[in-house]
Amino acid sequence: MSTALNQPHLMTAAASLRGIGKSYKHFQLTNVDLEIEPGTVNGLIGPNGAGKSTIMRIMMGLVTPDQGTVSVLGQAISSREASAKQDIGYFSDDMRLYKSESLTFHMQFVRSLFPNWDEDYAQQLLDRFGLIADQKVKGLSHGQRVKSLLLLILARRPKLLILDEPTNGLDPLAKQEVLSELMQIVSDESRTILYSSHNTQDVEQISDTITFIDRGRVVASNNRDEFLDGWRRFKLRAPQDWQAPAIDGLRPESTFGNLRVMTLDRYQTEVEDRLQSSGATLEASEAMTLEEIFVAAVLRGREEKE
Amino acid sequence: MNLQAIQILFLKDLFLSRWPLFGYLVGGLLSAMATCLPVESAGDIGFMLMVTMTIAAGIHLIGVLLLAESTDMTRTFVMSLPVSLLDYSIAKISVVLVAFLIPWFGMLASLTVLSYVMPEAKPGVLALLTLLFLFMLAGFCLQLVTAVVTESVGWTIVVVVLGNILFTLFAKTLGEHPVVSKLAENEVLSWPPIVLQIMAIEAIVILVALGLAFLLQIRRRDLV
Repeated sequence: MSTALNQPHLMTAAASLRGIGKSYKHFQLTNVDLEIEPGTVNGLIGPNGAGKSTIMRIMMGLVTPDQGTVSVLGQAISSREASAKQDIGYFSDDMRLYKSESLTFHMQFVRSLFPNWDEDYAQQLLDRFGLIADQKVKGLSHGQRVKSLLLLILARRPKLLILDEPTNGLDPLAKQEVLSELMQIVSDESRTILYSSHNTQDVEQISDTITFIDRGRVVASNNRDEFLDGWRRFKLRAPQDWQAPAIDGLRPESTFGNLRVMTLDRYQTEVEDRLQSSGATLEASEAMTLEEIFVAAVLRGREEKE
Repeated sequence: MNLQAIQILFLKDLFLSRWPLFGYLVGGLLSAMATCLPVESAGDIGFMLMVTMTIAAGIHLIGVLLLAESTDMTRTFVMSLPVSLLDYSIAKISVVLVAFLIPWFGMLASLTVLSYVMPEAKPGVLALLTLLFLFMLAGFCLQLVTAVVTESVGWTIVVVVLGNILFTLFAKTLGEHPVVSKLAENEVLSWPPIVLQIMAIEAIVILVALGLAFLLQIRRRDLV
């Protein structure tokens, strides 16, 4: 994204959410700011119920926010506007096709609403995904249903893809087929993808930038490589009365006797020297996986909120 | 408003409901024919069948075309397409209404023809039948507005049940009315003022219910 809004950006955003809030009985989306740059692949990671789907529904005009503004592909989005959706492909895990009808029916229906429908590409996807056009939707497996929806989305060549947990519940083979297709789309630099998942590996595989969301709030948002380079875990041996040096972003993770585990979200090489000179023995300085970074960022966010 | 999108959505829904629609049309026409069977009380039996068919068509079509979009989660798919809430609402309410009107009108038209063709039939009964059919249409429109507001099968069935009770009371009241009850015996079709007044009330209920269904649908803030 998912650059924070106070950072300068020169390009017109593919999507922009400012101060978005939405209240439900048991859930609240609070002050969400996101800026999605064109031609990028953006991962939205969060636990179940974090607010990923709500954000995406707001971007599609399916849900009206209580506060804030949304613009997608340069147009204000609401349920009353339809023109921006001409260039958006939206997939949601809870989206269903008409079960009594075939994929051919759905292709004809979607084609009638999209002048840009690419029939050749649709036929290629049918072959690549191993789908049978005349098969009724009620006879499709979960994986085939997901692929059918993706076919209906991709064959209209959207500029922006909003994909809400597209690999959820897929077997490893189907997941790889879907991700491969998305990777191919990613190679077209004019297209923008927003991809949500609670699976960090899927997101890490294809995303340029990543946003962590938890309990309706954006916890962290950054370039994927900066996330991976910026976070570190240190294992230190230190006496009981040891005081950690004042380093921005350094937080204790756990303590086992005199072994301290600490994480840092703004890593620089001189940090190790400062830790050593503080009276502790640095036993390990480890890079963190995206999943570990996600967990650490979410826990920090919750601590700060409390 | 995108007329092309509305037309595509309308035709899509009409296609999706083609089999129940065909079934209710055929069933309705057969029920109308049943009024002419050479048996005792054929008129009552045929009319009861038509009422049953109309009630079943109403709840079934609302279920298939309106409530199922929410329960089957197909509305998310439709609303992900370049369709505004206004386009969706116009198409949806129109198609549900038209789908209901096809068997409804088929039955009323058949009865009209039969009342002129059958030797023992009296065309005067058509005024009475029109009142009863308009009452059923008004009941359907109230079911429609309930389904739009609540998106609940349960509440829609409650309105169906209440509508049936009111229909029975309405038919009984008409049967006891000194002017209206005599219409069925008239050789010539006539529209006394009381009939026109009741028709006007029914038309108002239909228009208000449809307007309310449409307004409440387009004011919806969240579609999923």
